[in-house]
Amino acid sequence: MSLGVVDFLDERLDVRRISREFAEHKVPDHVNWLYCFGGITFLCFLIQAATGVLLAFYYRPGSDTAYTSVLHIMDDMPYGVVIRSLHAWTANIMIIMVIVHMLRVFFHGAYRPPRELNWVTGVLLFFMTVTFGFSGYLLPMNQLSYWATKVGTEIAGAMPFVGGYLQDFLLAGSKIGDATLTRFYTIHVIILPIVLSMFLAAHFYMIRKQGIADPL
Amino acid sequence: MSPETSHSHDEHDQGGVPFLPDHFVKEVAVIALVMGILIFLATLMPSPMGLPADPLKTPLGIKPEWYFLSVYQILKYVPKTIGIAWSFLIFPPILIIFPFFYRFYARFKYGRLILHTVVAIGVFLAVFLAALAYLGFE
Repeated sequence: MSLGVVDFLDERLDVRRISREFAEHKVPDHVNWLYCFGGITFLCFLIQAATGVLLAFYYRPGSDTAYTSVLHIMDDMPYGVVIRSLHAWTANIMIIMVIVHMLRVFFHGAYRPPRELNWVTGVLLFFMTVTFGFSGYLLPMNQLSYWATKVGTEIAGAMPFVGGYLQDFLLAGSKIGDATLTRFYTIHVIILPIVLSMFLAAHFYMIRKQGIADPL
Repeated sequence: MSPETSHSHDEHDQGGVPFLPDHFVKEVAVIALVMGILIFLATLMPSPMGLPADPLKTPLGIKPEWYFLSVYQILKYVPKTIGIAWSFLIFPPILIIFPFFYRFYARFKYGRLILHTVVAIGVFLAVFLAALAYLGFE
């Protein structure tokens, strides 16, 4: 019966060859524990996706509703405190892991030709991860998130040439309010997950295509 | 020590250990360790909620999140426009495109050593500045 299913899929989708390639591909001998940080970053991303969906079930963006909805998650939902704390801790650990992964790749010289394009996608993934953190920090709408976002958007506003436009885009108004929250929420749960997933797919495809870089 | 000009697209299929089971077992161990640390942190040090946002009450010692602290500290020492232009408009493009100049700087005997040293100093400086900001130095 189960063999029947595998045969069915194999005839149509060549699944045996694909799974054999996945299982049997060789990992170079020089790969050691220093190579684990990219994978840990991906694990963090998966945890963020899972806990983020759970939080999104009950979170309500809006200057009147955001804070109380997060309190509701923490006080009334089963494991609400753990899920929110896991999301917050993993966000910080994820950024640390991206930075350590980047430093590992840099000092191993793994960015060198022909892997320049994978370095480019990696740096863009780093910027997206930081933007993830910045946009998520506002969402609980507590004192910390309000004032950190105020400082952050003021720094963005002081950028030469583009600052004014950037600040207008981020705040969606003259100050942090309902429109800012829905904008940050949209960036945090729709735009960034989609864009980051696409760049992640490109990042992983290039690793499989080009292999793990030889040591210097 | 030279760029991989003649690399093979199949180099990951030559030598090394098979992904299953050898490498996979290590991956599962690392995943278990990371999950353990994260659940430990989330359960024993849960994220505080604090007071609701109040635009009229400025709390003492406002700081951005830790990954912006080094930029925040730079802005205390250099003119704001220059610090922000460096952090957001000049440094990111350099970070993105420097590998395309590898063949240029790798020709010099100490090209890569100099680059790695500069970056190592930069990393220490960034951590140092973030620590100063965290401790509230002006």
